[in-house]
Amino acid sequence: MNLKSTLQRSRSLGLGIGAVLAICFLISPVLAGSDSAGGVGKIPRLAGGRPDFSGIWQTTSAADQGLEPHEARKGAPPSAGIVEGDVIPYTPEALEKKKKNFETRATADPRLKCWTLGTPRGIYYPEPFQVFQRAQDLTLVFEFGDSVRTIHTDGTLHPVETDHEFWLGDSRGHWEGDTLVVDVRDFNDQTWLSRAGDFHDEALHVVERWKLIDGNTIDYRATIEDPKVYSRPWNIEVYLYRHREKNFQLIENYCYTQDYDQYYPIPKQQ
Amino acid sequence: MTTTESVQTMVRLSVAAYALALASVAVAQQGQPAPSTRAASPAADGIANEKSFAAIESGKWTGKRLPDGQPDVAGDWSNTIANHDNFTDPQGGIPGDPSPVARSRKLGPREERAPSRVSDPADGELPYQPWARAKQQEFAVGFFNAVKPEYIEPLARCAPSGIPKSFYWHGYEIRQYPGYVVFLFGSGWRIIHLDGKPHLPANIKLWNGDSRGHWEGITLVVDTTNYNGKGMIATSGATARIRGIHESEALHVVERFKRVDANTISYEVTIDDPNVYSAPWKVSLRLTKDANYLIYEYACHEGNYAMEGILRAGRAKDKAAETVAK
Repeated sequence: MNLKSTLQRSRSLGLGIGAVLAICFLISPVLAGSDSAGGVGKIPRLAGGRPDFSGIWQTTSAADQGLEPHEARKGAPPSAGIVEGDVIPYTPEALEKKKKNFETRATADPRLKCWTLGTPRGIYYPEPFQVFQRAQDLTLVFEFGDSVRTIHTDGTLHPVETDHEFWLGDSRGHWEGDTLVVDVRDFNDQTWLSRAGDFHDEALHVVERWKLIDGNTIDYRATIEDPKVYSRPWNIEVYLYRHREKNFQLIENYCYTQDYDQYYPIPKQQ
Repeated sequence: MTTTESVQTMVRLSVAAYALALASVAVAQQGQPAPSTRAASPAADGIANEKSFAAIESGKWTGKRLPDGQPDVAGDWSNTIANHDNFTDPQGGIPGDPSPVARSRKLGPREERAPSRVSDPADGELPYQPWARAKQQEFAVGFFNAVKPEYIEPLARCAPSGIPKSFYWHGYEIRQYPGYVVFLFGSGWRIIHLDGKPHLPANIKLWNGDSRGHWEGITLVVDTTNYNGKGMIATSGATARIRGIHESEALHVVERFKRVDANTISYEVTIDDPNVYSAPWKVSLRLTKDANYLIYEYACHEGNYAMEGILRAGRAKDKAAETVAK
């Protein structure tokens, strides 16, 4: 509601200008809040003016339990899902594979081997990641498996040569206003998108949209495309919240070492 | 091929070379001659040929600084002399290397080769407690005949390589931010917290420990505790390639990164582990800028075919031994 329409409405209500100003004053914090959602308010910014995503982030959603809406099952809370339209448009063959993945998830999920989670799974996996940001790039350090992903924002393009061997893809970002838009491609086919067996192939192409809606919340959206697996591109949206606990930090988690920890006992004088 | 691509290829090749080196060890364990990738190019330019390592005095830093005042150390870095084959005699080859090429190599006088990476004590040797020295020597033999799982060094299983090995394993990148210095190595990362937070609770034990740093003028001082006692100090614990003594949980590491000029950091680390060593000791390295290095996505465990090769070779050897026994 702008000032003019507020004035018109207040006149129709028979209120004086003073009352209008008082109302404006009272609602201004609310307006400031919505302004920040529009990109001009109180979100952290780098020296150059770009939104600053630096910080430690984590979803509170149960997205990793399954991207589509699902009721509770043993070991997994229910979730309203994060897929726009609720359904991932798998091709018929791919849907069969997804169902098979679901049945074998207790052993087949690559996460259980502590393999790099991939993109976008690392973002909504229930473990924190830290963003370090400079003008030329964003560095994402994922606590799970200690993976590191760089989003280049220096205007460089994807390498011409693609060999489909990246776990996290090759990420090139640009700014559309206050939204960081990241094009991610050149993936391998080894990662899953969730514990429910959602998957992709090498043709995976992810376009992410990162936007701070206030100082402590990122609205993360991604368009996921893979003609080998899905009949059309589809969208997800999840909120990421800033960790603000005192002295909170990432804690090293080279989880794949847990399988051989036993072989390296701390040496002691016999 | 662009520079970036060729560098990426180079890094891939170096990872492949490491896998090949491990595989050659595995083959050697079966008693078959295998070409040593290390010995194949003993006269390669660069690190292997550098004969001296002078301590670098502190200078006045006049270069770039971050807005918060930190000297700007960001960028791609590589090692100078400090290869991982041999920690106390970096150009002395791999002691105990069973490959024919290595065994046939004749070394000249010690003073013609690069000095020990150990700068204190002055003799360049580690102040082991006797039992720890015995343990290290057991490991040094076991490495070439890994009849126990612990004779396979943790890095071969993709565990992070720790301090100070990470600084001479491959190149690495330093990224710097208000409140943080981040190291991206070819085997894991370290986040150095500059914000004065206390160390993690003592009961949290980690491969790379928990690092807190602060700047003293042009020197970044990093204090690291919370080690899990499973990693390897240096790589060699005094003698050989990727062999060493395990540290204990009491390990306390203090590093000093002194930015000397645009291309050089003087690095000194004090290693104190009263459970393993009779005194604290120091390693000095010169870290040099390497504009051509590009860190590559690190995914090791996911495709650790070298480890499969080692285990397959070991099983084949076990089977051969069983056959002989029959």
